[in-house]
Amino acid sequence: MKKIVSFITAFLVIVSAFAQQRTIRGKVTDGNGKPLQGVNISVKGTTTATQTDASGSFTISAADRSVLVFSSVGFASQEIAIDQRTEFDIALSQRPTDLTEVVVTALGQTKNKDKVGYSATTFRSDDIIRSAPVSAMDGLQGRVAGADISTISGQPGASSRIIIRGYNSIGGQSNQALIVVDGVPFNNSRLGSFNDFANSGGPDFGNGLNDINPNDIDNITILKGAAASSLYGSRAQNGVVLITTKKGRAGKLSVDFTSSAITTTVAKLPTMQDRFGQGWFGNDWMEENGSWGPRLDGKERLWGSIVDNSRLIKPYSFVEDNVRNFYDMGTELNNTIAIRGGNETTTFYLSYGNVNSNGILPGKSDVYKRNTLSMRGQTKAGKFLASASLNYINKAGNTVNTVSDETGSSTFENIIQVPVDINMTDFKDYNNKFFNVNNYFTPYASNPYYSIFENGTTNKNDRFFGNTEFGFDFSKAVNVRWRTGIDVANARSKDWHAIEDPGPGTWRGPNPTNAEGASFTALVGDVRELSDYVREINTDFFVNVNKDIAKDINLSGFLGANYNDQESRRHASRVIGLTIPGFYNLSNSANDPVTTTASTKRRLIGAFGQANFAYKDFLFLTVNARNEWSSTLPEGNNSFFYPGTNASIIPTRIFDMSSTPISFWKIRAAYGKTGKDAPVYSLESTLRSGNAALGFGNLIFPLNGVSGFEMGDIIGNSKLKPEQTTELELGTEIRLFKNKLGIDFTYYNKRTDGQIIQVPIAASTGYQNLITNFGLVENKGIELAVDITPVKSRDFTWTTNFTFTRNRNKILELPEGLEKVDFNSYFDVKMTGRVGQPVGVIEAPKKLMTEDGRYVTANGFFAETNTALPYGSIQRDYSMGLNNTLTYKNISLGFNLDYRKGGYFVSRTADLGYFVGNAALTAYNDRKPFIIPNSVIQTGVDAQGKPIYAENTTPITMANYYAYWYHTSNKAHSWENIILPKDFLKLRDITLSYRLPAAWAKKISAQNVTISLIGRNILLWVPQKNSFIDPEVTNLGNDLIGEFGEQATSATTKSFGAALKFNF
Amino acid sequence: MKKYIIITAITALAFTSCKKTLDVNTDPDNPGVDQATPTLVLPSGIASAAGRIGGDLAILGGIWAQYYTQGTTASQYRDVDAFNVTKSYGQTTTGVAWVELYSGALNDLNFVVNKSKQEQNWNYFLMGTVIKTYTLQVLVDLYDKVPYSEAFQGAANLQPHFDDGYTVYKGLLAELDSALNKDFDASTNSIAGTNDFIFPDAANSWSIEPWVRFANTLKLKMYLRMAYAKPADAQAGIQKLYTDGALFLNQDAQMDVFVNAPDKANPFYSYNFLEIGTDANLKASVTFLSWLQVNGDPRLNDYYFPATNSPNYLAINQGDFFNTDAALNGASKARVDPTDPVEFISLAESHFLQAEALEKYYGGAGAKSHYDAGVTASFARYGDNPASFLAAGGRYVYPSGTAEQKLEAIITQKYASFPGSHALEGWLERNRTGYPRISTVYSTSGAYVPGQLVYPKNGITNGVFAKRLIWPDLERSKNANTPAEEPLTAKVWWDVR
Repeated sequence: MKKIVSFITAFLVIVSAFAQQRTIRGKVTDGNGKPLQGVNISVKGTTTATQTDASGSFTISAADRSVLVFSSVGFASQEIAIDQRTEFDIALSQRPTDLTEVVVTALGQTKNKDKVGYSATTFRSDDIIRSAPVSAMDGLQGRVAGADISTISGQPGASSRIIIRGYNSIGGQSNQALIVVDGVPFNNSRLGSFNDFANSGGPDFGNGLNDINPNDIDNITILKGAAASSLYGSRAQNGVVLITTKKGRAGKLSVDFTSSAITTTVAKLPTMQDRFGQGWFGNDWMEENGSWGPRLDGKERLWGSIVDNSRLIKPYSFVEDNVRNFYDMGTELNNTIAIRGGNETTTFYLSYGNVNSNGILPGKSDVYKRNTLSMRGQTKAGKFLASASLNYINKAGNTVNTVSDETGSSTFENIIQVPVDINMTDFKDYNNKFFNVNNYFTPYASNPYYSIFENGTTNKNDRFFGNTEFGFDFSKAVNVRWRTGIDVANARSKDWHAIEDPGPGTWRGPNPTNAEGASFTALVGDVRELSDYVREINTDFFVNVNKDIAKDINLSGFLGANYNDQESRRHASRVIGLTIPGFYNLSNSANDPVTTTASTKRRLIGAFGQANFAYKDFLFLTVNARNEWSSTLPEGNNSFFYPGTNASIIPTRIFDMSSTPISFWKIRAAYGKTGKDAPVYSLESTLRSGNAALGFGNLIFPLNGVSGFEMGDIIGNSKLKPEQTTELELGTEIRLFKNKLGIDFTYYNKRTDGQIIQVPIAASTGYQNLITNFGLVENKGIELAVDITPVKSRDFTWTTNFTFTRNRNKILELPEGLEKVDFNSYFDVKMTGRVGQPVGVIEAPKKLMTEDGRYVTANGFFAETNTALPYGSIQRDYSMGLNNTLTYKNISLGFNLDYRKGGYFVSRTADLGYFVGNAALTAYNDRKPFIIPNSVIQTGVDAQGKPIYAENTTPITMANYYAYWYHTSNKAHSWENIILPKDFLKLRDITLSYRLPAAWAKKISAQNVTISLIGRNILLWVPQKNSFIDPEVTNLGNDLIGEFGEQATSATTKSFGAALKFNF
Repeated sequence: MKKYIIITAITALAFTSCKKTLDVNTDPDNPGVDQATPTLVLPSGIASAAGRIGGDLAILGGIWAQYYTQGTTASQYRDVDAFNVTKSYGQTTTGVAWVELYSGALNDLNFVVNKSKQEQNWNYFLMGTVIKTYTLQVLVDLYDKVPYSEAFQGAANLQPHFDDGYTVYKGLLAELDSALNKDFDASTNSIAGTNDFIFPDAANSWSIEPWVRFANTLKLKMYLRMAYAKPADAQAGIQKLYTDGALFLNQDAQMDVFVNAPDKANPFYSYNFLEIGTDANLKASVTFLSWLQVNGDPRLNDYYFPATNSPNYLAINQGDFFNTDAALNGASKARVDPTDPVEFISLAESHFLQAEALEKYYGGAGAKSHYDAGVTASFARYGDNPASFLAAGGRYVYPSGTAEQKLEAIITQKYASFPGSHALEGWLERNRTGYPRISTVYSTSGAYVPGQLVYPKNGITNGVFAKRLIWPDLERSKNANTPAEEPLTAKVWWDVR
């Protein structure tokens, strides 16, 4: 039957040229009567096309016997013959994995999903902005099988991390998916963030992807496998996030306005013990920064510093919600106005978006402001078409630095160190004589309000990106496209620490008046300035062909070339030790500034092609290939080639399965390669400006007026080859019970070989790293997506989507002699990679046991093993997402659960909590003296050299109770308590929406008005052992290294608010 | 057809300029290795060596020599003070001293040695060889076996073999001899001037002569280090020095360019005071402070600060960091100033080495005057005068007893000259000679003799002292030739007494 239809269609096309044109109007809705915006309507066989507006209405001009094709990403496309009608009301079915869904594939092309032999997940605008997120990815957390999407802190505008199908790169810095906006690569780096990948925890100003206003996005498609992404070339090794922005459409001018107002509050905080108050060793020492003092008794007591012979008085009792009270309520306002319109040949889209957010820290210390301006237009003149997109982003933010060093202190470290009986909010008046620099109660930490109000970190970023596209349609079968994109950003960051230098003879100054005689080590203050500039130009030229070469066989494809040019320049200066307090400029110091500059330039040339064969409507085969020439590889050896292929077959269209519950069944297979070039300047060894590392601190040249250079620690490699990822993917989609149940299952096996990384080498070679190709990492796993429509009636619909992801990651090879790679470390705890193990095993010494299972002790503490042993890996066992939408008439309720199981992280927040005796567990045994149960002590060795043990009789007393919990004396015990499980369950969002009846909306001359109540991250469950912090946060960057854990960082937030959308 | 022509033309155009277009891979921010010269690289090599040997290793040596102990209100060095030092000692984000000494200092110094040899720039050849030798000698003294003959070869040998300490010593002494035998008047030599961090001078008055003395004194020190393990070698080597009329150091061989500024200050100071963020860690040990006090030694206030809010000095018994006595909270802090130099071989040390050599191999002729000069130099460093101590009946008068008694006096005075950035040498020489002696009782006992080392209170090695460092995990995990692990208490090759 299909065959006949297409024959008729072809006939109609020919005839149509002679037929009479008429104007056709109509309205497109989803299955539930909700108007659908942005549906593409084209007249089959012509270039005439339009889109629906916000009310779902469209107008198009077509000949009498034309066929209209209605298509929209995420919906089944429909073909309707006009048959002399002029009014149409069409309902498209809303299943996200429907049979004839259109998906965006490589290079801005779209393809019928049937023909795609790999797994791709698409989200429409409504899904993305359901909970009015500031960053597009926030709306997708937990919703993509095979992708791990996280936000790394609770600061407004924080970076997100997108890891698709596991960590491939042992280099640990480049596992993020490639972001492509309207066919052009998009810089996703964390511009303006100091120390991006160092484990020193520099401030985070968000990654590039967060610059895009989610309201401007029409849809996001996630390409996971190499077969899908190989056409993007060397940067697509970790998968691709394809973002298609909203375009104009023909018809009357339409205005969309969306607005949300959200309040945020702090979510998970450390659980404190509530039995013991300020002091140390069980003594009530009033200058201590911890809760190792006597038992709380609720009695009125003098506390804090003695100033002018006076002291404060307060009850010696636990302060409820002490840390929580430090935080404020944050606000987030997010507005977008978008105008679109046009006629059949020319359309435009204009939007302005504004985010104004003040986070949960007091004052303006965490602020995020973003203005986005977008202009898009396209026009057609006969066979020519042209389009352009211009976007300007102006972003500004303040955040807090989480580094603590000689120049200043970290707010979060100071918060953790306030004893549980001291009301933190009292310190807010940090100029008060009892809480100021001279007389803050402890010389061992700083007033957190001083560090938050006097220190600061700001960032400003101007970014411009856009593209132009020109096309010419030679015929129905052949057209050319030339697309050029540019992305330029300039971020400026500055951070500063105030001088904190208590005066001599004060409570905490030199010759202090406190009883312990301890002085605060003066913080000398610093200023850093950073300028980050990046620029990328990308141009693609391609020829598309689409032809039926024989009866039943369709051939389509394209050939193209690509040129990509990237440039960056990073300039940072820092001066330590300020002269004039409170004046933050590089000139304000007796010391010379330390300045670094890093410039990079790289170019890529690519040639690519794709051929698609279709046999009837049930067998599809795609073959693609790309060759690339990179500037970063050795001359003469800089070309690399990678092919990909994928196929799909639809048995339900070959065999009659109408008697079974199976309504649709597709089988997919794909195989692909992606290559990757080297980092810039990897081929040669260089000199570096002299800098001797002291362990703590440095000696930096020039010294004594002498300039010095040293041999770099990295050996360049002029024989580098491109690295390669090879991936096999098998999958199937099956729909049952008249599409009420859909299952999409994928298995993949991906191997990344010959990775170009800086391999750590033995220092006795004279160097620390060798740049080389090595290392084979395997990621294999399964992805399952199930969608169910348990109830579907006229008024009530319930749809639910479930995703399950399980990735197994393993290092298969390391270079000879290299036992392991250390990715990161915290004291003796390391995150390593070893052959046969996953990338990122957390290792540390463990408690030493006798053969018969007793604890060996030394000085009453646990003795530890000589070697580091695994505590677990950073990798998750599996993750699951559950997304529900319930619609009753005009009311819709949606919620999204995200569960991630397995994996460990290292928490400095926990470590500090144990150190100062605030952590809940430190009230163990009511702090009474005890001997470690089942423990022995080694007294010597026997004739065979075997250890001889005796019963351990050394108790842990109040004097060393704190040492029992801290890693300087009781290491293995401490590692057990700070290596925490990463598991969590989050209610990512819940939204309740009400769409005003059309009649009401009309009264305010609107077409569509929706009001929503929104909650984000309002529930978090973690295992009992993690009584400290949301396991998703890190201040160690948004790549592999950040999976190690956190270095005393910001808590996450939960949000409530409302959003309003209307269209007129 | 036209379209194919256009495509072909565009493609062709693209690829003809391809090669040039892709030629953008030269680092604009870091000079190529071909631009390195000995003048440019030697200062970095010296700074790296001084940074670790006079920094974190001096702190380690200072605790183990019992000049210092861990304070009771902080915890940074508890593991050091308890001999609970694992393979990862001192590991921070920037790596252990081993890593900086090999890849920072020695790689630069090795370049200086090779390049200056090639250029016949014998001044730099000697300077490079001396600091390279000094650095490797410290590594041998700490780790016993270290990579030497196969080291510094970069990618050509990724897993260098470890040589035993004696072999390394012999190799280094031969390198020193070779460097000393060059023609320092050759026209190919260049003048170091103020680029010389050890003996800086104006270009027109700069001379290699102090370096020759430094090299000779270093040879003397190394031969004495092997005096018990390889007595014949030591004797032959030292006698040759004297026969050849070798000149020894008559000034401090030290890096004295530090200023009170971040990234430019004395490394011990930077590490312990500036960067760690508290000065509560390194406190006076009863062991050494009691000796200074019992002798009324004026260097007391040069080595330590008085206790907080007190004119008096207060020490903590070695390793007693769990003591909860609040009185100890303000105990005397170690005194190292940001502008203190890092000594490689001090003038006092040069005299003490000569005194020992003369005592051992030349019947003691002239030993006393070098001993007196050594004590005087040590006092003079802090503006003090030991005349009354050295005069007849004085506390430090050179003994007239047995050779061993004289050795004990020399080594004890040498030990007393080392606190601060030179503290590591105090611990090494104690291990070689056995002085100061080890106490049979803890320092809280009434029977305790001031100045004797005690087993640290919270030590975890069952009464056996630390004698070395364990090869770092950072080396072992990348170099399969790392020898089987030796415990912290195993002696190094020259430690036989």
